[in-house]
Amino acid sequence: MERRTRPRPTRLFLTLCAALLLLAMVSQQPWAAGARGFAKGALAPLEGLLTAAGDRTSQLTSAFGDSSQLRAENARLEAQNADLQRQVAQLQALGLDNQALRQALDFERSYGRSMVAAQVVGRGPDGFSLTLEIDSGTSDGIKPGMVVVSGAGLVGRVSEAGPHAAIVETLADPQSRVSAFLSRSALEGTVAGGPDALQMEINPRFGVTPADGEWAITSGVGGGYPRGLVVGLVTSVTHRDSATTSSARLMWVNDPSVLSVVMVIKDFMAS
Amino acid sequence: MSGVLISALMLVLALVQVTWAPHLQLYGAFPNLILAAVVCMTWLRGPRAGLVWACVGGLLLDLTAPGPLGPHALALLVGAYAVGFWVRNVSHASLIQPAVAAATASGLYSLVLIAADDTLGLPLPPLGLAFQLAAAACVYNAVLVTVSVATLRRIGARRAEPA
Repeated sequence: MERRTRPRPTRLFLTLCAALLLLAMVSQQPWAAGARGFAKGALAPLEGLLTAAGDRTSQLTSAFGDSSQLRAENARLEAQNADLQRQVAQLQALGLDNQALRQALDFERSYGRSMVAAQVVGRGPDGFSLTLEIDSGTSDGIKPGMVVVSGAGLVGRVSEAGPHAAIVETLADPQSRVSAFLSRSALEGTVAGGPDALQMEINPRFGVTPADGEWAITSGVGGGYPRGLVVGLVTSVTHRDSATTSSARLMWVNDPSVLSVVMVIKDFMAS
Repeated sequence: MSGVLISALMLVLALVQVTWAPHLQLYGAFPNLILAAVVCMTWLRGPRAGLVWACVGGLLLDLTAPGPLGPHALALLVGAYAVGFWVRNVSHASLIQPAVAAATASGLYSLVLIAADDTLGLPLPPLGLAFQLAAAACVYNAVLVTVSVATLRRIGARRAEPA
């Protein structure tokens, strides 16, 4: 009897649902983008403080043992390795005796003069949000659509920007598409994003076959990304006779779970 | 606990969730501290309190996620409403009940979020992987809520003891 007289929370639930749906519809409007960006940037300074505190704590705890020192050394070597891999990939691309490629590499030097370094202060709040939050925004000249890179290569693109923070959609987004070419065979194709590995659909060329160990580098085709950014390393190639294209699995050069600093290219906007 | 204290706690949990929690990844899933707090709140303080704090916590998560404000709050609201039903109809003494309720809330939260992200065209892993992540998150959150409810009960019992 007592249970029946207790007020059910259904009315409150429905009211809150309606209010949130209304909020979602309003905040999605283009004219609300500024206010939304401002609201989203509000937490960024606190996230930065917490991230810095976490870094300091791990530095302190790393002083207490050899294993921690080895981990730090390992991280440094991994970063160095990623940088060397990028250099190898770029050298392989340069090694291609191809006039068109040389001209394109000249084009490559036309961007990247204006970059903003930003600290990664947060990540998506759930396993589905494949995003990073950085501590720079429109006040630093960052706009939605700008390309984000790390020392190792392509990270993604700015999707939303507030005054002092921005959200970066990474290549782990399965909807992301990047035009790329392979460093040794010069075969071109499209890289599709994915959370665990990237997939590249390679356009065939008679007498040329893609191979494991080649680097995928942005080709600049389509104007979505500038030419010359390292995307990933080919780990396996699949060719089906029934299909017109080959498919390659790529290991992404960046691990978003350990990225701490990225650079936003300000002088290139997707066409 | 006053509203201000709970608000502060929610803010801290939301910040920890987007900064430190992703480093505690297991099988692609990481703990959803806000969801755990909302389930505990609903379990210990009733469905209405759960709904209100689901809304507050969800909006804090929306501030750190891409896209419009609302999807996380809506997803948490559905989870809290389901836990509210649970609370009214089962024994509060058992620790298995909050664990099952947390797993259910986590599953509903993931489903609503997948539907919302898909509708809004936001980044989403392939459906198979998304459901794997959702299942891993259910287990993770169930364990987190069980430990939290047991701890909160122990603290409550100690306070109730006469000096």
